[in-house]
Amino acid sequence: MYGIRKIASCMLLGVGLWASAMPGAHVGPQAVAQAEVIHWWTSGGESAAIKQVAHAYRQAGGAWVDSAIAGGDQSRAVTVNRIIGGDPPTAAQFNTSKQFLDIIEEDMLNPVDDLARREDWDRVLPQPIVDAIKVGGHYYAVPMNIHMQTWIWYSKAAFERAGIAREPQTMDELFAALDRLKAAGLIPLAHGGQGWQETILFSMVLANMGGRELYLRVIRDRDQQAIRSPQFRQVLQAYKRLKTYVDPASPGRNWNDATALVIAGRAGIQIMGDWAKGEFTAAGQQPGREFGCLPGLGANSPYLIQGDVFVFPKTDRPEALRAQKLMAEVVERPAVQLAFNQLKGSIPVRTDADESAFDACARKGMAILRDRARPVGVAEVYLTPDQNGALQDVLTAYWNTAMPAERAQGSIASALRY
Amino acid sequence: MNRSGLARRLPLAAAAAPAARSGARRRWNPARIGIYAFLLCAALFFLLPLYVMIVTSLKPMDEIRQGGIFALPHALTLEPWRQAWSGVCTGAACAGIRTGFYNSVAIAVPSTLLTILLGAVNGYALSFWRPRGANVLFGILLAGAFVPVQVMIYPLVRVLALAGIFGSLPAIVLVHIVFGMPVMTLLFRNYYRGVPQELFHAARIDGGGFWRIFVFVMLPMSLPIMVVAAIMQLTGVWNDYILGLVFAGRDNLPMTVQLNNVINTTTGTRLYNVNMAATILTALLPLALYFVSGRWFVRGIAAGAVKG
Amino acid sequence: MMARMLPWFAPRIALLPMALVALLGYLGAAGWTLWISLTGSRTFPSGGFIGLAQYRRLFDNERWLLSLHNLALYGVLFVLACVLLGFLLAVFIDQDVRGEGALRTIFLYPYAMSFVATGLVWQWLLTPGDGIDGAIRALGFPHFHLDWIVSQDMAIVAVVLATVWQASGLVMALVLAGLRGIDGEIWKAARLDGIPAWRVYLQIVVPMLWPTFATVLLLLATAVAKLYDAVVAMTQGGPGIASEVPAKFIMDHLFLRSNVGLASAGAVLLLLPVLALLAPYAYARSRGARREAA
Repeated sequence: MYGIRKIASCMLLGVGLWASAMPGAHVGPQAVAQAEVIHWWTSGGESAAIKQVAHAYRQAGGAWVDSAIAGGDQSRAVTVNRIIGGDPPTAAQFNTSKQFLDIIEEDMLNPVDDLARREDWDRVLPQPIVDAIKVGGHYYAVPMNIHMQTWIWYSKAAFERAGIAREPQTMDELFAALDRLKAAGLIPLAHGGQGWQETILFSMVLANMGGRELYLRVIRDRDQQAIRSPQFRQVLQAYKRLKTYVDPASPGRNWNDATALVIAGRAGIQIMGDWAKGEFTAAGQQPGREFGCLPGLGANSPYLIQGDVFVFPKTDRPEALRAQKLMAEVVERPAVQLAFNQLKGSIPVRTDADESAFDACARKGMAILRDRARPVGVAEVYLTPDQNGALQDVLTAYWNTAMPAERAQGSIASALRY
Repeated sequence: MNRSGLARRLPLAAAAAPAARSGARRRWNPARIGIYAFLLCAALFFLLPLYVMIVTSLKPMDEIRQGGIFALPHALTLEPWRQAWSGVCTGAACAGIRTGFYNSVAIAVPSTLLTILLGAVNGYALSFWRPRGANVLFGILLAGAFVPVQVMIYPLVRVLALAGIFGSLPAIVLVHIVFGMPVMTLLFRNYYRGVPQELFHAARIDGGGFWRIFVFVMLPMSLPIMVVAAIMQLTGVWNDYILGLVFAGRDNLPMTVQLNNVINTTTGTRLYNVNMAATILTALLPLALYFVSGRWFVRGIAAGAVKG
Repeated sequence: MMARMLPWFAPRIALLPMALVALLGYLGAAGWTLWISLTGSRTFPSGGFIGLAQYRRLFDNERWLLSLHNLALYGVLFVLACVLLGFLLAVFIDQDVRGEGALRTIFLYPYAMSFVATGLVWQWLLTPGDGIDGAIRALGFPHFHLDWIVSQDMAIVAVVLATVWQASGLVMALVLAGLRGIDGEIWKAARLDGIPAWRVYLQIVVPMLWPTFATVLLLLATAVAKLYDAVVAMTQGGPGIASEVPAKFIMDHLFLRSNVGLASAGAVLLLLPVLALLAPYAYARSRGARREAA
């Protein structure tokens, strides 16, 4: 009988705890504009950056409710599920991509056309960004920042040891530099063997070797002829050639562990987005001193950009609409753009932004952005998530196995057909 | 003597068995040395990752970047532990994983209790009363245990939204009940199968109805298996991430969401020492439960739970 | 009259939650998934009917086929290793050793830890050069190589290693409990008859533990079908797509690639072999139960 009393009291305790934790009466409409924001900026530098936005929003009279969920795909999954479940957030982070195209088609997003008109986005934003956020003539997302995906980072100490006098300006010079690094006993190319990193490597080779024309025909237009062309095959072969310069422990490695190799001078070069700058800075290194950054090979190489945007799920509640409008306006303020991007390692979205407060690498990027002929979007700007994923599957299989280039071509062609 | 007859009489003889076999202290011979050697090797294999985790959690990031995962820390520091609990950034807030602790408790306690209760009732009804079609339902439940949880997220979201409770504590508890029911029912059903039918018949003859027999005869006997079920269900719910993320709603996010935010940043810096400290901290509750109820766990199943 | 009718109602009412969960929850979700797999749904489950196109695409997909192959290989290795290791650990602990409590905790603690971080630790341990590989070479065995995790063929075996580490403690606990339930008389009788210990185990104990093994096999099989966290934490399906598994394929397409239709088709195909295995098992059990009751 002792046992039964114990069980009964346990159950009562449990039900009591549960009942006490249940939400109280439905909270009435807020007087202050309360914005619940779902995003995936959870680590040190990113967290500091989004805090700036939250701070500015509060100063503008709003209340910021932070819903951070690490992992872009998980964050987006939660956003989609919340929309389906009828409890959408006020704003949600996405990439400049086709990730939110379906949500637009289901008519689940509020457009931000008046802000776009006021801020003259058609003229001031880079074309790939406009392509991603403008659907059917309406603007559905507010851009937060711009990242460049294919920077070439190198360790000055490693270059010195290998006797490399100047930064490579062409693909051939890059291979020559890698050869010298190998001869000096260093890891020529620091690489993390994960699907998305392999796609970055490929994008760099396609953009720098194939040029803007071929890049857009393959990635944006999915032109089957361009994919099956001998030019593209050469790109694939050059890409595979890079594999001979990575160390055998690269599969599965996280990108920041690869950066650590460059920081320590054990590896020469890493090809990674501008978020790598944060690792260098955290280790106390500075651009031009211990490490160098190249936006591409040669003076006219395509500049691959992507960005983060905020979308606003559809709502009719006036206080939510107010919060959305306030947030959209706060996020685009030059002061907020400056504060956010400095801490995040990215660059502001407007081509007319003030560059004096940014470091040398960021300034290079901002200068290139002003030349309208150079920026192109990364693969996910033009491809649906499904196509992008299928492409990544082929690339990573090609990188890791002995697949011949012709077969890779065929697989890419069919992957981009669906 | 037939084996199945022996098996049926085992439940209450469990406690006697070890005593019956030990008696005098064993002598040292090559066989015993071999046994200890094997167990020692196995223990080393099991402890190796824990060693790496603890050692990593006590080093500063500079040392970790140098490599050498087995090396003892040169500059021993407890800062990662403090950060993990109350300082690390998990979004705009930088308050560590502590913020999710109470939510995890609020989710885990009712989920565990209610699922165990339902599993016990189900097992009892399936073993003794056996209404028609109950076994088919049980079969469906068992088949459902093989389905990856994510597949059922969309339909559940829709259903809960229709019921108006999506994104709340009752929603996540309900979801945990749904996913925990198959294994819990399996445990209790097998356990009650080991209870002699005569006991049940005697209780019926004494005039007991369904609920009276359950509450006054079966439940008191089930304490050991309840502890087993509690351990399995609590560990599952406590370490669950995706269900809490989707169904709990913003105010009830469990600790594992914070843990994931600490570990799985996409393009931010990764603090491995904090990650390891946070993981160990998160695991402390289930571990404490194992420590406290370890002997119950083994004894509980000995009472016949695992009969097929 | 009510008193006699009650026993008919009560169990059925008590089983109502189970019925609801089984029918609305699992059966309903299965039916819904089947329906969605026949549509072209992308981010939202609201696409139009397209027949078996998603299934055709699945069988055209190298990654999916490799996932199935990996699952079969993983399943066999994982279950065998867990059962063997768990059994041996239980038998050895049961030999009246000192420090049994500590040993049991050591073997069980992996089960309590989230695999997200322990998977990363295993990745570090198995990385050639820095992990176990480098350590053993430094100890004086220069020809030792452990590069499973970067190998196309052995990556999935690396995942087996880490998941066996996590799960065999639970198997050990279950088998130990079963052993503890065996009548001590057997050992005495065997010793009197002069039968060596290993024969007692193999020919008497193991068959007696068959019900225990059946439950263990069931629990392990569910773990195999749902294998996801370990692969993501350790190899992310790599190198390349060498360690892809169906649950990861489904999950990736469900959220990351916004293709709910394809993911649902994959889920249906994953469930089929499970049903095929469970149905004869259930049939055999129900026949046995009927014979018992008779």
